[in-house]
Amino acid sequence: MHNNNIASVLTRTDTWRGYSQRLPRSTIATGHSHLDRLLQGGWPVSALSELLPQQPGIGELSLLLPTIKYYADNHQLCVWLDPPYQPYAPTLVAAGIALDKLLIVRSKSPAEWLWAAEQSIRSGALLLAWAKQKPPRYADLRKLQLAAANSNNAAFLFSAPSALDAPSPVALRLELQSLQVNQLLLRVRKMRGTASGEQLQLHLGEASAQRIPFTQLPADRHHGYSSHAVLTLNS
Amino acid sequence: MLRSINKSHKTNKSDKSSKAQDIWLYLHFPLLSLETLLPQVPADQAHKPIATVSLEKNIQRVLCCNTQAEAWGVESGLSVSTALALCPELLVLPRKIEQEQQHLQQLALLAYSFSPVVILDNDTGLWLEISGCDKLFKGYNALLQALEKRLVYEAITAVNGIGQNPLAAKLLCQPSFQTQLPKPTEIQHLLMTTDLSRLETSRKQQQSFEQLGLKSLGDLLALSRSALSRRFDAELMNRIAQLNNEKPFTAPRFQPGDSFHDLVQNPQGIFNKESLLFPMKTLLQRLCQYLVARQCHCREIEWHFEPLIGESQQMQIQLSGSQNNWSTLLMLSRLQLDRLELPRSVEQIILHADQFIEAPMAVFNLDLFGDQQAAQQSCELIDSLNARLGIEALSQPVLNQDYLPELASTLATPGKPIKTAANKPLTAPQPLWLLTEPAPVQMRNQQLYWRQPLTIISGPERLCGNWWQAEQQRDYYLACDNRGARYWLFRESANQRWFVHGLFS
Repeated sequence: MHNNNIASVLTRTDTWRGYSQRLPRSTIATGHSHLDRLLQGGWPVSALSELLPQQPGIGELSLLLPTIKYYADNHQLCVWLDPPYQPYAPTLVAAGIALDKLLIVRSKSPAEWLWAAEQSIRSGALLLAWAKQKPPRYADLRKLQLAAANSNNAAFLFSAPSALDAPSPVALRLELQSLQVNQLLLRVRKMRGTASGEQLQLHLGEASAQRIPFTQLPADRHHGYSSHAVLTLNS
Repeated sequence: MLRSINKSHKTNKSDKSSKAQDIWLYLHFPLLSLETLLPQVPADQAHKPIATVSLEKNIQRVLCCNTQAEAWGVESGLSVSTALALCPELLVLPRKIEQEQQHLQQLALLAYSFSPVVILDNDTGLWLEISGCDKLFKGYNALLQALEKRLVYEAITAVNGIGQNPLAAKLLCQPSFQTQLPKPTEIQHLLMTTDLSRLETSRKQQQSFEQLGLKSLGDLLALSRSALSRRFDAELMNRIAQLNNEKPFTAPRFQPGDSFHDLVQNPQGIFNKESLLFPMKTLLQRLCQYLVARQCHCREIEWHFEPLIGESQQMQIQLSGSQNNWSTLLMLSRLQLDRLELPRSVEQIILHADQFIEAPMAVFNLDLFGDQQAAQQSCELIDSLNARLGIEALSQPVLNQDYLPELASTLATPGKPIKTAANKPLTAPQPLWLLTEPAPVQMRNQQLYWRQPLTIISGPERLCGNWWQAEQQRDYYLACDNRGARYWLFRESANQRWFVHGLFS
């Protein structure tokens, strides 16, 4: 009985043992080799990670597409809790993600949000949670972090950059900024076992500098023809 | 699994020959009418002397009573007035035959997990044919012990008899539960010395037994068949033939019903949700017993909570997968119960289930990759989210064969089979986020503006739904703001208005 207790404590990832240099961390490859190096292997497993994009639309979700695909390929569910917009199915299918492995959950209260998040983590699903207008409380995040520590899965929380002012119990905090189109600047604001402040520039696609001035947009000729056709018919 | 083993043994045996010895077990429940009603007796009165009564020839007579009542001298067959004179505190319950029959059905279901051949006896008893069922339980004695333990757990008083045919087993019914299988010679000896008065025949026939000086069954069977047939009717001859294993016993076998319907009554009423959980657990355990007996899983269960007065309330629990595990079903029922407004007091709880699927065999397979487990976990997660948040809170993206983005990507309730239509892939990049409603874009100084100034990067890509509807002709452009976020804009052909339709994320 006592031996069992010790064994279960030793298998926990957050038990510090004097002789080991670094915490034995398990990770999931992010799909970007530079990012893997920054995160010392990939997204932490059995931990809650917080992503803080400076504004929506800069590529924060594409960062996670390989991870979502990895989970979906393993027949594990991916729960999107309170996403800000509707996921666009054709793009997800193009990324090779099975749509029946995605589940969108809408909560009606912070209590429901927390319950659904915890339940998803405990049921072996990949959680992507978006904080609502009111950021979750420290105690709630700690609850999720503990649930994640006991599970064998990664969990992600998207928060507004203003959340950086408050401390957070999550294992990883990553601030995302866009330098220009398709170029992300990732800044580690907190990572277990290392000092924060490391930065990485990530190219998500080709950074095209092409801009089309509004006045040079092609005219809608097709519509012009059709209105003309209507006119001739009328006359 | 359990059933299939039993069945295969049974078929093997009958294939070999019918000469293999049958072992019939008769289970008699002497206190069935009392024990059916006991759960409805308030807890503070359960230790009082209690008797059930039924109407016989216009007189209410005691049918059976508990040990407390027996201590006062109450016994079956007494009229109610005599019983009350003996024991003034006696709690008299009228017999409820319908509930009793339902209880017997439940017990048959229980027995069905011990033997594939179960036959109901109207006379508060069950027959089980247990030959060939020993391997599963590692011996007949272990089987009998397991059965006794199970019946004690169900709080049922049972006695049994064992014989080579159903009639013999019933005749040999002992006053206590035997857990040792007697040897065939012992059975034969016991049968021959059985008193003839135990044979259920008319009084006239019993009298003629006496006149002939026949005391035991052995005396009767010793007489030649022709002599017997001259004196006794065909019915008795038929029985004798059955006792001698010369004629088969032709009674319909018990089969679990097509749907499950069970209820728990509580005349005092249940006033809070916590106290509902215990009877709900009992019902779910019975359901699971039924599911195991039928080798199937349920896809949906339905609860009815009925008050004494007023409208009943119901609750449906739909499963994305299938279940035969009562604790999961109880957990889901509990989550959904939290959202339900119940009548002030619940008198009757009904559980109904009629949607079943065959139990997936994969459960028994050695699953090397854990896919099955992951799928099971996802189903359980969907079910519990559904129970707590409601189905309207859950959705899954679906791809449709359509070109307009809002039609190509829609949301559906989970659990429905998703048909993923392969669409012609577009050449231009497509966004990850779609706005539920396209948001109109303003024009400021020849500059598009939505939350902040936007600049077009590339385009256009024409998407049209129905060509005859001009407003469904759209030119899609990729735009960005000066902070690096990318947007999906479109211009309507009809009126040249601009909208934001999505975000690249």
